[in-house]
Formats: sequence, structure tokens, C-alpha cells
Amino acid sequence: MKSFFVYTCALSLFLCCQYRADGQLLKKLKDKVNSVVNPNSTTNSQANSANGNGPANKTGAGLKNTPPPDIPTNMDNAVKSMRDSNFSQTRYALQQAIMGVEIKLGKQILESLPKTVDGLPKKDSQDIVASTQFGWSNMQMQTVYSNGKEKQMKVTIGNMPMYAGLVSLYFGNNVYVSNQQKNPNIKQTQVKGEKAIIQFDQNKGYTLIVQLGQATIVVWECVNFATEDEVMGAATSFDLAGIKKQMGEQ
Amino acid sequence: MKKVTLLSFALVVFNFIVAQNFDKDMATAKSSFAGNKLEDAHFALQQALSEVDLATGKKILRLLPGSLGNLTANSKDDQVFSNVGFVGATVHRTWGQNQAASLDIISNSPLVSTLNSFLSVPLIGGMMNSDKSKTIKVQGYKGRLDNNGAGTGGGSNYTLQIPVGTSLVTFTMKNAAEGDVLNDANGLPLAEIAKLVQ
Repeated sequence: MKSFFVYTCALSLFLCCQYRADGQLLKKLKDKVNSVVNPNSTTNSQANSANGNGPANKTGAGLKNTPPPDIPTNMDNAVKSMRDSNFSQTRYALQQAIMGVEIKLGKQILESLPKTVDGLPKKDSQDIVASTQFGWSNMQMQTVYSNGKEKQMKVTIGNMPMYAGLVSLYFGNNVYVSNQQKNPNIKQTQVKGEKAIIQFDQNKGYTLIVQLGQATIVVWECVNFATEDEVMGAATSFDLAGIKKQMGEQ
Repeated sequence: MKKVTLLSFALVVFNFIVAQNFDKDMATAKSSFAGNKLEDAHFALQQALSEVDLATGKKILRLLPGSLGNLTANSKDDQVFSNVGFVGATVHRTWGQNQAASLDIISNSPLVSTLNSFLSVPLIGGMMNSDKSKTIKVQGYKGRLDNNGAGTGGGSNYTLQIPVGTSLVTFTMKNAAEGDVLNDANGLPLAEIAKLVQ
């Protein structure tokens, strides 16, 4: 009896999804016909669809960029809350301070990166620093070097124990090493004496991953680079020892 | 009486040590930050957070009942861990012989979101209901009660999981009746725990 009930529920869910999919298909067909008959109608349909049958939004200044947490203020708040034995507020203030330190450190590291690599200027507007408030793990920084055309290098620096572990696994496992001969598009290499993996994919281009210390990794994603040597040359223009030191790695 | 005095004295000493360590960590964090040694400041802040978690855990232990029915708390086995990073503090207490009842509170538990989806989505929660597992309410908090089978000393072994904010409260009882589990769970200070771990 219970199995019958479960199957009935599953069937109902499937039919609901099917009906919804059919509805979406019909809507797409309708939009397609409208676009041929009246090119403006598609725009209206898409705009309205964002709010269902309600009016489409046409104004709004968006959200303001919130500054990162103020570190000294949060440290003072933590001390004050601890004196009052308000542990919940103390923890919150400490987490905010930690997040603030991580963002500040991330910005410093991004600023320390070279301004130009392989003739590609650094696009400061695309700098990203992301931090979880739980401290250090999964802290991530990203910047892009681009000539505004086809050639681009995206650099990601992060404290990602999980991925760093995978890099270690690659170096420590003979299966992967022997697999290199079968798949020459991924292989081990070194950048300034640090262990690295370089990979080539027809659609993505070159990806170079370097492990620094225990948990820090640097990833270069190079699109439309001509050769492996060009990628390696670009990577050596980065101060890996400086990044390692700033990330607190030995 | 002597035991109570000793315990109170131990708590005062513990709080004093925690406060001292916290102040020391915060002083290091402030001086490191002022000297732009961000990695050192970060480490000191994490150490301070760890001290706060320990203090919170100790405070929770003080709130827990000294006995559950005829089961006396094994205060000597009380444990508080601090795991800075993904999971915060872990608090552990047992009652009775052979840990007949135990309570574990894990802050920032990764299991909370899964458990919440069981509790808040009627379809999923309903499909999982059986005579061995069901959704219940304790002091207004929804929870999941599992009967893990017959105990060796009669009755059954039960596990009750209650998400409180981002923390997971797990209460287990061995060789018990369902009514006893619910009765004892109602004696736990869940509202106060929720305030401290939020």
C-alpha cells in the first residue's frame, strides 16, 4: 500500500513537470511566431515573463556595494561583548573581523600581481575577492588579463584544501603518471620550483594549476595562447614566493 | 556540598583562563593588524574564536539538567571541543550508567539543512514517516525521532535530532520507552541553548 502511494506521488510529480515543460514549449513557439510577425513583441513578452503577468520593472538603481567589515571596530566589539559574557555577539564580531582580514588580504594579493602579463593588461574592474566567514578555507581571489579581443588569462588564487589535495593526489599516484602517456593533454610540470599540472582542452585552452604549501593553489586559465611555452612564460612573471608568504604557507 | 564548591571553583578558574587567553589573542590580533601582518592577525582571531566557542560550550553544560528522571549526569565525562572552521563548537554530556542518555550539540552542523528539509517539506517528511521514524515537536522545535531497534536491557534505543538555528541537537536514549525520551527531551533548555549558539 505504501509503495503504491509512493509511486502515485512520483507519477503526479512527473506529470506536473511534463505539463510545465509542455507549457514552456508552447510559450517558446508562441514567442517565435510573434517575433516573425512583429519583432517588438518578443521583447515585451520576455520583459513581462520576469514578473509573470505583472508589470515589468523598468527602473531602480540596483544595490550599493557594501564595504567589507571594519576590522578594528569589530575587534573592539568582540572584546566589549566578551566582557559582558555575550558570547553570541562576540562570535559574530570575530567572524566579521576574520572576514574583513581575509578580504583585505585578498585585495593586497591582487594588487601585488603584475600589471601586464604577456602583453595583456590586468583588468582591475574584474577583480573578485570572496571569503566565507568561517575562516580561511575557500577564500578565493580572481583577476583577469585581457586585450579585450580573443586572448585572455584568468588567474584564480585560493585556499582550497580540497583541490590542493587533488593536486597532491596527482603527483603521488602512479596511475595518473602512467596515464600521461595515453593522454598528452595533461601533464606534470613546475613553475619556479613549485609542482604544477598543465592541461590543454580544445575549447577551454590551457589550464595551469600550481600548489603552494599545504592548501593554496593558483590557477591560470589561458584562452587563445599559442603554445605551452607561452603559458609557462606568463606564469613565471608572477611572484609565487610572495603569494605563498602572504597566504601564510611555508 | 563539597563537590558543588569544587565544581564552582573549577568553573571560575576555567572562565578566568578562557578570558585571559581571549584577551591575549585579541591583543596579538590588534598588534598584528596594526603592523599589517594580516596572516598573523587572522590566526590570532581564529584562536580567539576558539576560546569563545569553549566558553559557550561550558556555559551550555552549566544549563543542562543534573539528572534526567533517575539518571544522574556524568559531569566528569562532559566534553567541549572547538573546531574553528567549518564546524564550530561541540558539546557532549551523558547521563546514567553506560551512557544511558547522551546529548551532543554541534554548532554550524552540515546536517542541519538536510534535516530541515525533512521537517519542513510535508511530502518528503511524510514519505519518510514510519513506525520507526517520525517528525515530532519538542518545546515548539520540530525534530526527528528515530527508533533504532530494541535495546539490550529492554525498551528501545532512540535518537532525537532537533535543528536549533544552525546547530544540531542530538539526544539519544538507550533501553527506553518513547514517552520517557519525549519527557526527558522536554526537560532540556532548548531556548537557552538556541540563544547561546546563534
